Amino acid sequence: MRPLDPRLVREVRPARRYVLLTGATGSALGALVVVQAYLLADVIATVFSGGDVATRRPQVAALTVCVAARVGLSWVQERYGERAATAVIADLRLRVLAHAVALGPSFLRSAARTEVVTLTTVGLENLRPYLARYLPQLLLAAVVTPALLVVVAVNDPLSAGVIALTLPLVPLFMALVGWMTQTSSARGLVSMQRLGAQVLDLLAGLPTLVALGREHGPAARVRALGQAHRHATNRTLRTAFLSSLVLELLTTLSVALVAVGVGLRLLSGSLDLRTALVVLILAPEVYLPLRQVGTQFHASSDGLAAVDQAFAVLARPLPASGTLPAPDLRTSTVVLDGVAVQHEGRDRLAPDGASLTLRPGTVTALTGPSGCGKTTLAEVVLGLRRPDAGEVDVVDAAGRRTRLVDVDLASWLDQVAWLGQHPTTTPGTVRENVLAFAGPTSDVDLDAAARLSGLADVVAGLPLGWRTQLGAGGAGLSAGQRQRLALTRVLLTDAPLVVLDEPSAHLDAESELVVLDAVRALGRQRRTVLVIAHRPALAALADEVVDLSPVPVGAA
Amino acid sequence: MSALGRTLALLAPSRARMAAAVAFGSLALGSAVALTALSAWLISRAAQHPSIVALSLAVVGVRALGISRGTFRYLERLASHDVALRVTARLREQLYVSLAAADRTVVAGLRHGDLLARIGPDGDLVGDVLVRGLLPFAVAAVVCAGAVTLVATLLPLAGVVLAGCLLVAATLSPWLAGVAARRAHRVADETSGLTTALALELLDHATELTVTGQVSQRLQALGRNEIVRSDALDDAARPGAWAAAASSTATGAALVGCLVVGAKAVRAGSLPPVMLAVVVLTPLAMVEVVASLPAAAAAVARASAAAQRLWPLLTAPTTTSRVSASTSVPDDDARLTARGLACGWPGRPPVVSGLDVDVVPGRVLSITGPSGCGKSTLLLTLAGLLPPVAGQVRLGDSALEDLEPHAVRRVVTFTAEDAHLFTTTLRENLLVARGDATDGELESALRQVGLRGWHSGLSLGLDTMLEPGVVSGGERRRLLLARALLVGSRVLLLDEPAEHLDAASADALMAELERLASSTGVAVAVVTHQPHPTSGGTLLLGSAGPEVQVRHSSPAVTGGAAPDPLEVEVGVRQQLNGERSGGRGVQVAAVQVTRSAHGQG
Repeated sequence: MRPLDPRLVREVRPARRYVLLTGATGSALGALVVVQAYLLADVIATVFSGGDVATRRPQVAALTVCVAARVGLSWVQERYGERAATAVIADLRLRVLAHAVALGPSFLRSAARTEVVTLTTVGLENLRPYLARYLPQLLLAAVVTPALLVVVAVNDPLSAGVIALTLPLVPLFMALVGWMTQTSSARGLVSMQRLGAQVLDLLAGLPTLVALGREHGPAARVRALGQAHRHATNRTLRTAFLSSLVLELLTTLSVALVAVGVGLRLLSGSLDLRTALVVLILAPEVYLPLRQVGTQFHASSDGLAAVDQAFAVLARPLPASGTLPAPDLRTSTVVLDGVAVQHEGRDRLAPDGASLTLRPGTVTALTGPSGCGKTTLAEVVLGLRRPDAGEVDVVDAAGRRTRLVDVDLASWLDQVAWLGQHPTTTPGTVRENVLAFAGPTSDVDLDAAARLSGLADVVAGLPLGWRTQLGAGGAGLSAGQRQRLALTRVLLTDAPLVVLDEPSAHLDAESELVVLDAVRALGRQRRTVLVIAHRPALAALADEVVDLSPVPVGAA
Repeated sequence: MSALGRTLALLAPSRARMAAAVAFGSLALGSAVALTALSAWLISRAAQHPSIVALSLAVVGVRALGISRGTFRYLERLASHDVALRVTARLREQLYVSLAAADRTVVAGLRHGDLLARIGPDGDLVGDVLVRGLLPFAVAAVVCAGAVTLVATLLPLAGVVLAGCLLVAATLSPWLAGVAARRAHRVADETSGLTTALALELLDHATELTVTGQVSQRLQALGRNEIVRSDALDDAARPGAWAAAASSTATGAALVGCLVVGAKAVRAGSLPPVMLAVVVLTPLAMVEVVASLPAAAAAVARASAAAQRLWPLLTAPTTTSRVSASTSVPDDDARLTARGLACGWPGRPPVVSGLDVDVVPGRVLSITGPSGCGKSTLLLTLAGLLPPVAGQVRLGDSALEDLEPHAVRRVVTFTAEDAHLFTTTLRENLLVARGDATDGELESALRQVGLRGWHSGLSLGLDTMLEPGVVSGGERRRLLLARALLVGSRVLLLDEPAEHLDAASADALMAELERLASSTGVAVAVVTHQPHPTSGGTLLLGSAGPEVQVRHSSPAVTGGAAPDPLEVEVGVRQQLNGERSGGRGVQVAAVQVTRSAHGQG
């Protein structure tokens, strides 16, 4: 994994600005370190050789300015490090979410969804230590370390040679140690994580153990697991810390060697005290960023993994939308022919060759066991999912046939409405929630729609009626009542094609009634309805029932 | 004392081990400072061109210090991580012991929120504070004292300057960093919920939002929230920048101060010239010593927040068994009855009240109603895991609270909707119910819940590890039921055993429960979403609009016999939460239809 992902700099504006700023403050800090070393060496050497500090007032004043400038720079670095981290996290979160939603149900109903949820809620937060702590040190190591080495070389080529020889040894030895301990570390890590997880598993299962009256036995096991976990972790750490031991040994030992070398050459008279002091002060500073990079390394790996995941999502190509305007769905027929969809990680197509015709003003029910592709087929009709085989055509009143893939998605969605199992609500009043998706609506229309959907009865029973506040996730209404609210929204649109997903078995009986009411109400309005039916009552209302049950192998 | 202090006092990390870690850490950082000081002296002395003999000891010393730093640092990390691991392990053990002995309400309350999920990371944070929080402070204190002593011995005034500056760097700067960390933590706590909710809303409702053209609007809302959040976080981080500034100001002042004081002392003859570099460069080496303190303060702040969450769990009130608690549970009569029962969580309004419930041996009672109507709370109360708000639950002739809790557990088995499957083998997961069950008994329990096919399809059989992904939602429910059956208790209280099952499987499962009840005389109560006609009647909970609704459901009769005349008991109807507005209230209708006691059917 590269320590700085180029995509971060290329594509995320706050990250680019931050890297530039940190590069600038880092360079300035490096320059200040050099100036400070020269000033200190000058004053000390002057006083050492019997000079008066009074003659070195300008140097002391300059040193004070240097200190003040370093204070300012450290403030700026700390202030903008945090700020940039916040901005970068926000930027990536928005982009990943927007992209994930645009990728549609084929992505959101795959295993990748969990990854996106973890990434956008907690994963991206790992970028904070990476950006605010690790990255500045990385840039310092890239900019300041070579620059200081040049300054040392100008003063004392021999010391610079020692440093130049040891510097590459640091990453080399760290890699070597890492490579040698890799197998044992990986093995140790697995057993360590397993033991840790087992303790937490027992704690998580405590309510269950209490319910079974078996809570006292495992206490000894928790203790034993804790000890085993400690032993395993200690074993792992003994090898894991070896790489930092190498880092510390190399860097400190070479500073010591530089000091001794400088001292001995000073003794032989081939070097003056001023130069020797400059080298002595700068030598540890050359290694400092490198050491910091080493200590902050763990902060970097989680952050970089998050960046990697984010760009992996962003790199998925979006389905191209068509360009033709959608035909008028009030008079057009939607024809599906042999539609099949492949699902990630499943070898069976679902649906597998579904054909059906949605004539204007009719109710079509989709039935079949769970997993047969009812919802997937509905998503195909909504234009949100591309079939892997088969065609979806729209035939207008004049008989002109347009392929759905060629139709502009926005103009298609303008004519389509959807009522899912879990309608969305936002914190706000019932009225706001109903009108959220609708254009300007008169109270007469609202009341009519609410009566038709059954929401009027629900509202009448609420303490503040339409002005009742709903909490997050629709708290305050039952699942069935939320569905009535969503149905009111659908009734308020004039979308000619409505797709309904009947709540599956574990929702209340009330929700079942809502969908029956909805289908009746929409049928009266002469809208085209496609409904995913789980129960016979619903299928009975349909003009046409399409069974998506997979054909047994060998039957056809 | 703070929660963190009390938690650490309770866990009592070994002083000797902690002292060893501090000693190693001080030797490591001390080596770095000593390396600078000794090198400074070496160079200054060399500039006076003495014989090499005068320097030989210093040369050896400098080289030794170059090695000792890394070595002691390695030892320090091993020692401190060992202490931290011991503390974390002990903390988890204490948590387990405390919660196992805790009042049942506390344990039942763990289901709410993310308490359980946070025990792991919170425990790590408390252990970590020793390594990342307290150790750096202790080490800095030792090394600072050493450096100040060294400088003060050479030049008292320089020692005073250094001591003053270090005091500021080691107190003001970490304090500011701690403030920033606490604020950031609070802001993150307050705002991350909304961010998560908005993000999940977008992902969960992507289809609906896309169809209705609301995606860009929701993204804008998320963007606005991010701006608010960024501003708040930015505000919280402000003291952090001042912490960094304070630290560099203090160390910079020490450098300039010692230089000026030292140079004047050399001129005045009170400091040998060869020591000037030592007095000046020692403060320069101290930058590294105090640099770690702001991060350490932030670690303490995070650990404090974790300890505040853990402390109530560590000191959870234990079960207050009554002095008169009779340990004898009636052997013959395992009938669970409740009259005028009100249930709810302590400190909150009851969710159901005025209920009469009968869980009768040989029958299955189904409890149904819309989400959130209190079905699970009622079941917990019937199980004796939650005290009733009003009324009483009786097992046979004794009130549940008069019985010894463990004795109740042997008779009444409760299986929660979210009961835990342990990450271990299938066998171990079932043996949790009853340690002495044979493989034959385990297999027959699996058969009873319709998992025979699933079990025979497992290549390792009972030795299969139940890792995430092995068990589907429906299989999980059945496994939990199998576990409950294995206990062999006389009252079974099951929360949603048929969820995630298709209608046919759910019906089969209920039929199996009926068969079990009638053949073994076990009393069963089942919470279901879908009303099922059951032999013990149906208890219907829920809001019924402005008027009280009375629904009767006829019980299915096992064995094909003609149904006996039903005696309909209309339970007491109580108003939900006792609230009324405008003369209308949401009411709870509770109707229990039971068969009159005509003996075992």
